Amino acid sequence: MTQIFTVTDLNQRIADRLENDVRLHDLWARGEVSNYLHHRSGHRYFTLKDQGSQISCVLFKNNGLTLDFELKDGKNVLVFGDVAVYRPQGRVQLVARGIKQDEGLGFRHLQLEQLKKKLAGEGLFAQERKRALPLYPERIGIVTSPQGAALRDVLRTLGPYPARIILSPAQVQGEGAEESIASALYALQGRADVIIVCRGGGSTEDLWCFNSEIVARAIFACDSPVISAVGHETDVTIADYVADMRAATPTAAAKMAVPDVEEIKEELRSTQVRMMRALWTGLERKEERLEYLKHNVSAKRMYSLARDARQRLDYLSQSLDAAQADKMQILRSRLELAEGRLAAVGPRATLLRGYGIARSQKGLILKAQDARPGDVLELILGHGRLLCRVLECRDDEEAT
Amino acid sequence: MKKDEIGLEEALDSLEQIVEVLEEGKMTLEESLDQYEKGMKLVKLCNARLEGAQRRIECLTGELPPDLS
Repeated sequence: MTQIFTVTDLNQRIADRLENDVRLHDLWARGEVSNYLHHRSGHRYFTLKDQGSQISCVLFKNNGLTLDFELKDGKNVLVFGDVAVYRPQGRVQLVARGIKQDEGLGFRHLQLEQLKKKLAGEGLFAQERKRALPLYPERIGIVTSPQGAALRDVLRTLGPYPARIILSPAQVQGEGAEESIASALYALQGRADVIIVCRGGGSTEDLWCFNSEIVARAIFACDSPVISAVGHETDVTIADYVADMRAATPTAAAKMAVPDVEEIKEELRSTQVRMMRALWTGLERKEERLEYLKHNVSAKRMYSLARDARQRLDYLSQSLDAAQADKMQILRSRLELAEGRLAAVGPRATLLRGYGIARSQKGLILKAQDARPGDVLELILGHGRLLCRVLECRDDEEAT
Repeated sequence: MKKDEIGLEEALDSLEQIVEVLEEGKMTLEESLDQYEKGMKLVKLCNARLEGAQRRIECLTGELPPDLS
């Protein structure tokens, strides 16, 4: 026979069923507070909801005493308690025994975790696919708001490093930001050696666009390494996971992107010293140095190099520390020595030692047969020249 | 940067190679001199690149804010 319940009995039966189910006890539920009412009795009533559904909640006075934050509409919370049926209205509700603030963004946070899992599964965060940053980028792409402080921080930090800076403007918060960032990234395709995508600090809400799937995929699709710098140190977004490098701040990103100009200059100074030292060491090692020089290398060329090197050293030593400067002093004296020796190889020094160069209109006179009696020759001396007439041409070897 | 212009990275790399070859000391003097001269040219080029660098900022869409251009 069909059983007929009174409404009271029916709700009692439902209540018995739900309240005896251990799966509906001692549970945590996550959602957003709405319809909040702090009744004068001290009990608090509200609705916990997410995008798809809602449930009534009650926090009785005693349980509410330990609440350490202000409960209000719009708050994302984690509620701990048991499911019960409010019999007078036949309403299923969650009787809260404790409520915590949800530091994340409730439902969105859950979505974020799912997206993270999905992208990780596809290998977007994989360490193996992270690319190394170029040492000396020629073109630096920046995706950010042209108005933001982040851009100015980046530009200041890039400092005097010689590179082309290509700004690809993007809207970095609010409606449409995700699409804007993604297309700004795509626009840098083939135009940059390294890309910085950044924005300054802001609320979790403000930074949220960097947690979107299309931004993640746009970063992944970039043809050059990407450095992400979103918000402050503690803010880590999906963009940071996908990027080849994550910087804590826009300033830090710029530091990663380029080498220190002063360091390069220092490197260049020491390179010059190394080259000079190596060259002169080689020079001093050659045993028949002077012979070698006469036959193979223009003494003039060596001499001018030695002089040039010494002047360069003088200039360099102004910018080096004391220990380096000492080493340079040794190198300098070696160079001076070399200069002296090289000067001696040149024809002028030879002439000053008492030799002369004879030449006619036809060229240098190296043998007696190069001239004929009666020819007029020019004799070049250490100082001045003589015009001479040949009296006789003798082939005898003793003369030398 | 023009295509035929040597980049900073390339210049610094060749410079490093030149220094190594010079320090090995296996070349004839003439070869050493050639390398040395080449090296000094590269140093000059790098320095010029670093000193003469003026910031070049371009904007892909729209105008640069006045404080940056």
